[in-house]
Amino acid sequence: MTASLHGRLSLLKHLIPFKSHHSSLLSPLHTTYSTSLPPDSPPQILIPPVSTLSRFKTKPSFARSVQLNGVSAFTSESDTSSITDVASDYLSVNIRCQKQDAEALSEALLSFGACSAYMDDLSDFGDLDEISITSIFPQDARVGTCITEAASSICLEYSPSYDISVCRQCDWASYVQESFQPTKVIDGLWVVPTWTEPPDLQSTNIILDPGLAFGTGEHPTTKLCLLLLYKLIKGGEHVLDYGTGSGVLGIAALKMGAALSVGLDIDPHAVTSARHNASLNSINPSRMPLYLVSGKSGLASPDATVDDLVSRKGQFDIIIANILLNPLMELADDIVSYGKPGSIIGLSGILSEQVPQLEERYSKYLDGISLSEMNGWACLRGIKKMH
Amino acid sequence: MATVLKDVVVRRPVAATLRLTVPAGGARPGPPVAPVLGQYRLNLMAFCKDFNARTQKYKPDTPIAVTLTAYKDNTFEFIVKSPPVSWFLKKAAGIESGSGRPGHVSVSTISLRHVYEIAKIKQADPTTKHLSIEAICKTIIATANSMGLEVVKDL
Repeated sequence: MTASLHGRLSLLKHLIPFKSHHSSLLSPLHTTYSTSLPPDSPPQILIPPVSTLSRFKTKPSFARSVQLNGVSAFTSESDTSSITDVASDYLSVNIRCQKQDAEALSEALLSFGACSAYMDDLSDFGDLDEISITSIFPQDARVGTCITEAASSICLEYSPSYDISVCRQCDWASYVQESFQPTKVIDGLWVVPTWTEPPDLQSTNIILDPGLAFGTGEHPTTKLCLLLLYKLIKGGEHVLDYGTGSGVLGIAALKMGAALSVGLDIDPHAVTSARHNASLNSINPSRMPLYLVSGKSGLASPDATVDDLVSRKGQFDIIIANILLNPLMELADDIVSYGKPGSIIGLSGILSEQVPQLEERYSKYLDGISLSEMNGWACLRGIKKMH
Repeated sequence: MATVLKDVVVRRPVAATLRLTVPAGGARPGPPVAPVLGQYRLNLMAFCKDFNARTQKYKPDTPIAVTLTAYKDNTFEFIVKSPPVSWFLKKAAGIESGSGRPGHVSVSTISLRHVYEIAKIKQADPTTKHLSIEAICKTIIATANSMGLEVVKDL
């Protein structure tokens, strides 16, 4: 392998242009290739194996950037955290380029500071040679430079023209709401947006205004959890909705006859949304207490209301957790600790391919593990062991 | 006599191709996802849940390149790819930012070995499987030069 690697790399060296004014920066090229490299294993960005990218220098060293005539190095790719701040404005840039360059330019823009680049399907442009790409940048990005660099990285012979507009943050909640339709979960159970009349007034209707929280009843994972609750609840149970989102599962449990539904989430939008939805369904807050918890280890922050949550450990008949694989794995101890021995625990928000991993993790806590699936998503359930 | 049309792929009309970079496990109903998906009236929450579930295996906050195909009926499909080339280059070179004057001022150097390893990761992407390693290396070297990174044979 090393020999062919050597062969390939010798061929590749011709790709490095030799710039005479940089002769001091380039080490002299030589044909013999050092064989003291570590074995060829692909660098990984996956977890948990240790990434071989650690062989690369990972410490950012600002001291290495060069200052020349007062022009200092700038951030060409901004920290994604600045644009995910919901309150900031952003730049929307319309860029014109030749049709055949559009795909490559879109890809390249993402490498030089754009958060996104999109365009209508190329067939929609008909015979036009020039098409436009819309690209979104954080507010402080140096758009012109980013576009120039992106263009030169794909060896574009011309400079694309562009216009920049500043966009105010929108009410993202309204974008979410546009696609929310009344959904039938099963005969006699519907989830309905607050702005729509329930299609079937006779059935149990869960009224929702989800805002920015997850859980409209439309997603396969929500449906799987609702169906599980429908099957399990006989009346009088204490239910824990771990990762409550819009509160849809907690509210459904109460409407199906549970006595108490406790919800917790790490996202303040979720807790607000769940509180609002509980009142839309005429649920007394004492029947649906909600807690905002810290994300790190599932441990609640030290304050009176959250001590109250911790004191409920071991009291629930049913626990339902529709989140994601990683938190389900990390918080297994915490999730299970809330259940009575013999309680039923349902876990979702996972893809079917993620089931074996989750099953292995929970096998020490749960007996009788079974699975339900819908469209590639899965819900795992089991009974908490007696001791 | 029923004819099973297994080989006929019904192509839904495509409205747009959307490219985004989103941190692994970090898709939220806000920028950068919301302005783009909102433009085409796509189900934002469904995308976030789906994307986050599919990127659980990546280190949190690794920037993941996503290509979405939005159909005219407001449905969509997406592919998750490896992070942008510039992210790998910065990690390889140990720097936070590119050069202020690429072509004139060099910020750091990387080796061909780095380029090759990055190309191998990129070749595993669904959209570049058909490209040769050399072609991918050329793009990476061009990107590196655009960022003011020198590519050398050995470090």
